[in-house]
Amino acid sequence: MADSEQDNTDRGDGDNLKSDKLFTLKKWNAVAMWSWDVECDTCAICRVQVMDACLRCQAESKKDFYGRQDCVVVWGECNHSFHYCCMSLWVKQNNRCPLCQQEWSIQRMGK
Amino acid sequence: MASMLKDWGQFTFEDKWPCMRPIILKLLKQEPVTQGEWQDLFFSVHLVCLENEKGPPKLRDALKEDIMDFIKQAQQRVLAHQEEQALLKAYIAEWGKFFTQCNYLPTPFRQLETSLAGKTSSTPQKRNQPDESIVRKLMLDSWNQSIFGEIKQRLQDSAMRLVRAERNGEAFDSQLVIGVRESYVNLCSNTTDKLQIYRENFEAAYIEATEAFYWVKAPEQLSLHGVENYMRYAEAKLREEELRAQKYLEPNSASVQLLTECCVRVLVATFKPAILAECPRMIQHHQTDKLRLMLKLMDRVPEGVGPMLRDLEEHIANAGLADMMAAVDVITQDSEKYVERLLDLFRRFSTLVKEAFDDDPRFLTARDKAYKLVVNDATVFRLELPPRQGAGVGTAVVNSKPNNNNNGQPESKCPELLANYCDMLLRKTPLSKKLTSDEIESKLRDVLLVLKYVQNKDVFMRYHKAHLTRRLILDTSADSEKEENMVEWLREVGMPADYVNKLARMFQDIKVSQDLNQQFKEQCRAAIADSINIKILNAGAWARGSERVTVSLPLQLEDYIPEVEDFYKKKHSGRKLQWYHHMSNGTITFSNQVGRFDVDVTTFQMAVLFAWNQRPMEKISYENLRLATELPDPELRRTLCSLCAFPKLKRQLLLVDPPAHSPKDFAHDSRFWVNQEFAIVKNGKLQKRGKINLIGRLQLSTERSKEEDNQSIVQLRILRVQEAIIKILKMRKKINNAQLQTELVDILKNMFLPSKKMIKEQIEWLIEHKYIRRHDEDINTFVYMA
Repeated sequence: MADSEQDNTDRGDGDNLKSDKLFTLKKWNAVAMWSWDVECDTCAICRVQVMDACLRCQAESKKDFYGRQDCVVVWGECNHSFHYCCMSLWVKQNNRCPLCQQEWSIQRMGK
Repeated sequence: MASMLKDWGQFTFEDKWPCMRPIILKLLKQEPVTQGEWQDLFFSVHLVCLENEKGPPKLRDALKEDIMDFIKQAQQRVLAHQEEQALLKAYIAEWGKFFTQCNYLPTPFRQLETSLAGKTSSTPQKRNQPDESIVRKLMLDSWNQSIFGEIKQRLQDSAMRLVRAERNGEAFDSQLVIGVRESYVNLCSNTTDKLQIYRENFEAAYIEATEAFYWVKAPEQLSLHGVENYMRYAEAKLREEELRAQKYLEPNSASVQLLTECCVRVLVATFKPAILAECPRMIQHHQTDKLRLMLKLMDRVPEGVGPMLRDLEEHIANAGLADMMAAVDVITQDSEKYVERLLDLFRRFSTLVKEAFDDDPRFLTARDKAYKLVVNDATVFRLELPPRQGAGVGTAVVNSKPNNNNNGQPESKCPELLANYCDMLLRKTPLSKKLTSDEIESKLRDVLLVLKYVQNKDVFMRYHKAHLTRRLILDTSADSEKEENMVEWLREVGMPADYVNKLARMFQDIKVSQDLNQQFKEQCRAAIADSINIKILNAGAWARGSERVTVSLPLQLEDYIPEVEDFYKKKHSGRKLQWYHHMSNGTITFSNQVGRFDVDVTTFQMAVLFAWNQRPMEKISYENLRLATELPDPELRRTLCSLCAFPKLKRQLLLVDPPAHSPKDFAHDSRFWVNQEFAIVKNGKLQKRGKINLIGRLQLSTERSKEEDNQSIVQLRILRVQEAIIKILKMRKKINNAQLQTELVDILKNMFLPSKKMIKEQIEWLIEHKYIRRHDEDINTFVYMA
C-alpha cells in the first residue's frame, strides 16, 4: 500500500504541472435566492406575500403572462413595508401607515 | 238561353227529373258524360231549387233513392263472392269507383245544398268544406249502412290476413289493404273525430295482428338463431314494420307511432334482459358492429342504455386495472412505460367507444368515469400520504390548524409518474434525443390528456415544478421553447393560475439571471468571471419554504461570495440574498495517476472532495469529514454515498473502508480515501481523459424537508379546503351541506379531490373558530360570519 502511494505521488506531480492539487475548480454555478428584506412577509394592505406581486398586479399579469412583475416593496420611516402599488393607493385616502398610524413617509424603495 | 229564360219559373221538379236522372245514373256508374249533359245537370238543379220550397227536398229524396239503388246493385255484385279474397277484391273495385264519384257527384248539387241548408240551419261557413257536402255524406252514409257495415269485419279480417301473408313473404296488391283503410277513414260519420272508427277497428286490429305475429315469431327467432342474429332480425323487422305501417296505416295520425311502439315492445323490450346479457362479452371482444346494433335497439326502450353504460364502465375499469397489474413490474420502475401503457389503454377504450357507439356522449362520459378510476387507482402504486396524527410535530407554519386531518387513504402514484415522464421528454435524455420535436410535442399533449383524469393534480404540479427547477438550474432543458409552451398548455388545461404564473415567473427569472450574470462578469476580476456563474432567483417563485443547509465551502468558493453580494447590492436595494448551496453545482478537474477528468459535482460533493486537497493520500474518517464540511449528518451521508457508490460507475471516485452501499452503512470511524486508480471505463477500456457527471438527481430539499414534503401536500390541501369554503360562504352567505360539497369539489377539482372526511373536519374547524356557524333551524345549513 505504501509503495503504491509513493508511486502515485510521483506520477501525480509529473503529470500535473498547472496545479499540484488533486481537485481544481473549473466552474461554479452558484445559486442564491433573493427576497425583500422585510420584517413581515405579508403586505398588510392586500394580504399577499410581498414576494409575490400584489393582488392588482396579479390580476393584470394574467393577461400578459410573462408580465413584468415590477411590483416592488416600499419601506416607510416607521420601517413597515408594503407593496408599492398598494401603498400608493392607500396614501391617496390616508397618509398614515396602516399598521402604526404614523405619518407616512417613504424611507426607501425596493429595486 | 233566351228561350230558357222565357220559361223561367215554369219548370217543376217533376218536369226536370226525367232528364236529370239518366245523367246522374251515368255518373254513378262511371259511364261517359258529355260536357253538355254535365252542364245541363247544373242548370236543372238550379231551376229545381228556384221553383219553390218543395223542389229541393224532392230532389234530395229522388237522388237518395237512386244512390241507394246503385249501392244495392253494387252490394249484390260484391256479396256474390263468398270466398274472402274475391270478396275483398270485388269490394275494393266497387269502392274505388264509388269513392271517386263521391268527389264528382256532389258538385252539380251545390245549389241544392245551399237551399236545404238555408232552411234547416244557418251555419253557412261549413258549406265550403267539400267533406261537409250533404250529397257526399248521403252517398257515404248509404254505402256505410248497406255494404260496409255488413261486411267490414270480413274485410278487415282478410286485409289483416293479407298483411300477415306479406310478412311471410308473399306479394299481393297492397291497394286491397289500403282500400279497406280508406273505407274506414272516409265512412266515419263522427265529424269531430273522423278517425274514430278507423282507430277503434282497423288500427287496433292492425296493431293487434302485428303484436300477435311477432309474439310468436320473435322468441322463435331468438331461440333458433341466438342473440346476435336476433338483434339483426329485430332491427330489420322494426324498420320493415315502420315502412309497412307508413303504407297501410293512416298517415296523418298517431298510428305509425303506435305501431312502432308496439313493435319495440314485442321485439325489443321483451328480450331486453337476454340481449343485454350479451353486452359484456361483446364489449370484451370488441364486437363493435354488434354493439352498435345493440345500442340502436336499446336506445328505443326505457332503461336500455343504462346497463350498457355500466357494462362499459366495468369493462374499462377491470380491463384497465388488469392490464396495469399484468405489467406491474415494468411500469412501476419506468415512467415512460407506465404512461405509454396508460395512453394505450385510453386509445383502446376510445376506439371502442367510437366504433361501437359513435362517440355517443353518454358512452364518452362512461369511458371518462371508468378511465378516471384506472388512473387514480391506488392498488397498482400508491403514494402514501402521511396520516398526520398528533398535533404540532414540526408544523410551526400550520400549528393553528386541526391536527386530526389525516387524509390517510393512499393515492395513486400516477401524477408523480406523469411528471417524471414529462421530465424525460423535456430534459436532455436518451428518450428526448431520439424523438423529433413533433413527437415530443404530441407526447406532452398525451400527458396533458391523462392529467385531465388525475384527481390529485396538486401532486403533479409539485413534481413538475421540482423537475423544472432542476432542469433550469442545471441547464438541462432539451428545448426551451417547448418548456415555455408546456407552461401555456398547463394553463389551457385549467391548472390553477397562481401555480402556472409561478412557473412562468421561473423562466423569466432565469432570463433576468443570465443578464445579471453577464453584467457581473463584465465588472469583476477576470479570474473570477471565468469560473463562476450566478443565478439569483426570486425566493417566492422558486423556494417553497425549503430550508437551507449550511456547508463550509472550499475557501476559493467562499471568496467569491462577498464579491457577488457586493455586486448585487449595487444593482438592487432592499433585497437580501440567501445562498442555496444544495442547489448550486459545478465542474472540477480531478487529476490522479491515471489521468485528468472533468467531473460535474454538486457543491456538497465539491466541499467533501476538496478536503483531500491538503492531504491527497490520506484516509479521512467520517467524523473528520463532518467537521471539515459542517454538513448535517443526512446530507453528508448522502453526499458520500454518491461519491463511493455512484450507480453504474465501474470505478468510484472515493473508496471507503469498511465497504458501504447505502448512506446508512457509514460509521463514524468509516475511512474514506481518493481512488487514485479512478478512470472512466468505456466499452471495457480505460479512458485517461474525459468528463463525468456525478450530480445525479439534484437534491432540491434536505432529507428532513423531503419527509415533510408529502405532509405539506396534505397541509396545503387543508388550507385550500378552508379557503374554498370561506370563498363559497362569503359569496352565498348561507348554503346547505350538499350544495357546499358540490361547489367545493368544483373549485378544487383542478388541484385535488377533497375527501368527505377532510371537508367535514375543516367545516368543524371553521365553526369552532367562528368563521361560519350552523343555521339555527337547520344544522345542515351553514351561515357565513363576517
